[in-house]
Amino acid sequence: MIKTVDLKKTFIGRGQTVHAVDGVSAHIKPSEVVVIIGPSGSGKSTYLRCLNGLESSTSGKIEIEGVDLTSKKTDLNRVRREVGMVFQQFNLFPHKTVLQNIVLAQQVVRKRKDAEAEEKGRMLLEKVGIAEKEHEYPIRLSGGQQQRVAIARALAMDPKIMLFDEPTSALDPEMVGEVLEVMKQLAREGMTMVVVTHEMGFAREVADRVLFMDQGKLVEEGTPEHFFTAPKEERTKAFLRQVL
Amino acid sequence: MKIINKNIPWHFLTLFILFSLCAGLWVATKKIDYTWRWNRVPQYFIYHDEELIPIPFDGVVASLSNLGDQTQIKVVSEQGEEKTFTVDSNAVEVSEGEDLFQGDYLGAVFEWRAGPLLKGLWVTLWISAVASIFGMIIGLVTGLCRVANNPTLRSLSITYIELIRGTPLLVQIFIFYFFLGTVLDISRIVAGISALAIFAGAYVAEIIRAGIQSIPKGQMEAARSLGMNVPQAMVYIILPQAFKRTLPPLAGQFISLIKDSSLVSIIAITDLTKSGREVITSTFATFEIWFVVAFLYLMLTSVLSQVIAWVERRLSVSD
Repeated sequence: MIKTVDLKKTFIGRGQTVHAVDGVSAHIKPSEVVVIIGPSGSGKSTYLRCLNGLESSTSGKIEIEGVDLTSKKTDLNRVRREVGMVFQQFNLFPHKTVLQNIVLAQQVVRKRKDAEAEEKGRMLLEKVGIAEKEHEYPIRLSGGQQQRVAIARALAMDPKIMLFDEPTSALDPEMVGEVLEVMKQLAREGMTMVVVTHEMGFAREVADRVLFMDQGKLVEEGTPEHFFTAPKEERTKAFLRQVL
Repeated sequence: MKIINKNIPWHFLTLFILFSLCAGLWVATKKIDYTWRWNRVPQYFIYHDEELIPIPFDGVVASLSNLGDQTQIKVVSEQGEEKTFTVDSNAVEVSEGEDLFQGDYLGAVFEWRAGPLLKGLWVTLWISAVASIFGMIIGLVTGLCRVANNPTLRSLSITYIELIRGTPLLVQIFIFYFFLGTVLDISRIVAGISALAIFAGAYVAEIIRAGIQSIPKGQMEAARSLGMNVPQAMVYIILPQAFKRTLPPLAGQFISLIKDSSLVSIIAITDLTKSGREVITSTFATFEIWFVVAFLYLMLTSVLSQVIAWVERRLSVSD
């Protein structure tokens, strides 16, 4: 479903060259939940953003459902419809109500009729548990509610893959649970998910596979069981000692 | 209630200071022995115009028929040609059977007509409105070019902005009128409006650019991640938010534009300022007319700021 081969992303600025992603090869299968963990600046977010073309890769190959993202002929907008993304800062549209946030892209990109889009929007709000807030503006919602709206907004496009970029890092601790709950439900429904997170509990419970990245490189990968109980690499052990 | 009570003495002080300033002005004009003739002003807004109706041939008044306020006069020429004219009843100058020569007046028609100040106000209003619309379009396009990825678009827009912001509007108006007006054979009105629109456009472009850049990058990323292309993201996500943020500076810019439009009077466009100058030459009521002209500009600009304040309030529902 998602395949990256020797993916590299290099930032050049002010005479400095940063290898944010440095040769990552991975293969993510349909319905798989992959959690990427690693210290700050390890390139995990950049890797995730390469997967829907928000960052253009420097070299290497990205294939989403057989479509080559690095090819110039690929229409990125078509690919992005199939790949939902949830951001750390929610990035809801502040000038639109909750329902409009979910409806807009359906109308503009998927060309759905108003009634159809609204029905879908209400159904998804129901699903993430904030149906009663549809006419509120995002600013009046709590962080956890905003993030759930953001998830509903991404789901409204009927994506085949969902990317989560530290979805709970900007939340107050007591709101983390409600967002993780929605994500767990998605995972149970068989959504293909790539999640960058610091929530080790989520990784342990939900992930099919855990990738550990450091300094742009994929250091270790394996099942959560392997990863949290018997990691091989020294770097992984050091990291886990810090966070657990 | 308590807060209001506490402020009342200060409001009185404000009124007192304003009153003193006005009194000072009055005393100052007393000293230079100026005779105020405010009664001469209203006729330059609107006046009762008398139009005399002449007979087009030598002939006889055949009949007069009174229709209340108006009277129909039927005249017959020596060749037997008949014609009917309508004049106001209280201004009939002929009687039945009277012999008339060509050019003699049958009577007069009175009509209310807009005076030069009202006409000037209208010219200022529509010149500013048209220049604002074009200024907004030019500014929007230039602002978008200013933040575009294409280096040519960026450089061109920066050149335009620097060129226009770095030269005085008065000089630009002269260049538009004397140079472009001659080369491209455009009328003074078109030259004046273009100069104003292009001048305003440069400032609007910078306001729009600042507005677009003030929207967090995540908004564009969220829109793109939902599959929108750049124009869609701009139209639905970025520009509405940028527009809301830039409304106060845009209001200032368009208020400036109304005031700057007074400069086109220099290329003989009869706007409010030029009308004022013309009225002064025939009344010598210099002080009164300039005060009136200033007040009329103030009316235009305050209506505009009220409208924009209303739009701002409407857009603030999502705050």
